[in-house]
Amino acid sequence: MTLQHDGIDLDDLWQAIEICYEKNWTDGLPVVPPTEGLVARMLAAGPWAEDEVLLFEPARNISVTAYKAAVNAVMAGCRPEYFPVVGAALRALADPTFELHGPATSTGGAALMVIVNGPVRKRLGIHSGANLLGPGFRANATIGRTLRLVLLNCLGCQPGVLDKSTQGWPGKYSLCFAEDEESSPWEPLSVARGFEPGRSTVTVFAAESGHNVLAHGTASPERLLALFADAMAGLGSLSPGRSVIVLAPEHADHLKRARWSRARTQAWLYEHAWRSLADLKRTGKVEPAFFTNPRLLEWLYRHAEGGVPNLPSDADTLAGVDPQDEAVHVHRGLGPEDILLCVGGGQAGGHSAFFPSWSRGRSVPFVTKEIPS
Amino acid sequence: MMRILDPTIRVTGISAAARLAPRPSRLAGVTVGLLANGKSNGMVLLDRIAELLRERRGIGEVVRLAKANASVPLTEEQAEPMVKQCAVVITAIGD
Repeated sequence: MTLQHDGIDLDDLWQAIEICYEKNWTDGLPVVPPTEGLVARMLAAGPWAEDEVLLFEPARNISVTAYKAAVNAVMAGCRPEYFPVVGAALRALADPTFELHGPATSTGGAALMVIVNGPVRKRLGIHSGANLLGPGFRANATIGRTLRLVLLNCLGCQPGVLDKSTQGWPGKYSLCFAEDEESSPWEPLSVARGFEPGRSTVTVFAAESGHNVLAHGTASPERLLALFADAMAGLGSLSPGRSVIVLAPEHADHLKRARWSRARTQAWLYEHAWRSLADLKRTGKVEPAFFTNPRLLEWLYRHAEGGVPNLPSDADTLAGVDPQDEAVHVHRGLGPEDILLCVGGGQAGGHSAFFPSWSRGRSVPFVTKEIPS
Repeated sequence: MMRILDPTIRVTGISAAARLAPRPSRLAGVTVGLLANGKSNGMVLLDRIAELLRERRGIGEVVRLAKANASVPLTEEQAEPMVKQCAVVITAIGD
């Protein structure tokens, strides 16, 4: 294959690594210089023609082709056989419902989480065990990193320029892992998301930084899940948005032994992850945005179990807490289906994770796409 | 000798081809559009700007539009009334 594209001619490898810094083409870590030969091998490992668009971003009218994706995948350190996973993840981010422009640029500083299911996990070594959210695994590190490099290099999401993250978080370097389907009490996440067993998929989610849920002291589902619900109801991140729970195998095993289904677990968590309207008012979580955004108002009204919330129309009087506000429960999300459950981590240890969505509203859902074989 | 390839995309198409509209020489009596991008305080900021422009420059009618969602672009249907009615459009984030 001969590629006719813009490039820079250089004398040696070190110079190539350094020029990528000079050009501002990196995430801060060194990249593999994307030579013509390496990019051609990357492209050849996927089913896409080089000019095929894998991601169209409508807010900025930018199309990311398989070729540009391949250049960035080489730079991220991917092996060519990872490229179908990268392409499927880009297709998932490009789903119009995902509304990528928001999480890519917002002050909220979202990471692009990628959860992999199916046979591709073992074939490519996408890790689902000990330290799955941490360092040490090439496929996890480089597939997730490619998405970030695509945002930086193709979509203009340079920090402080178009990416206005107030703080960001380390998951923005890379946040890709496989589900430990073998330790799950339930069907694989991909099957729960509507795909046939045996298919390989990616599921993407715009994630804020995760919260450790430490629980070593109980095997009771209700007592265990109460810890998760408490983390999910933290006022700092409480919103109508969605949630991802990565259950440690030990915690998953407690639910398996008690024969709790996925649906029952989701319903229990939803039912118990709430704060009173009084708490929301005291802390300014009910802000002027609620009065102009129907999706946020829906969140408040739909879950007013203790009665219709008495919402002042004037933002200046928001701080006023009525006695009845204590009895109005406002849940995280809009329903049990807003809680995505998957399993991963080492066989030892009671440490799970909760990830709130970037979105405080209702954009950016979970999106699952099949990985081409 | 090695050749490394460019990973970036230069913006082309509509964005690159966009031209600034001619600027009116005065604002007195001119219809002004206010386009908030959907963040919390965009329209608050724009309403105040319109108020000041009315006081200081005597602008005419004001056409207000707030996108429901900051993450998606304005549709042509949304833009049309503003394009037809306004000589000046001001946009704001106000996050």
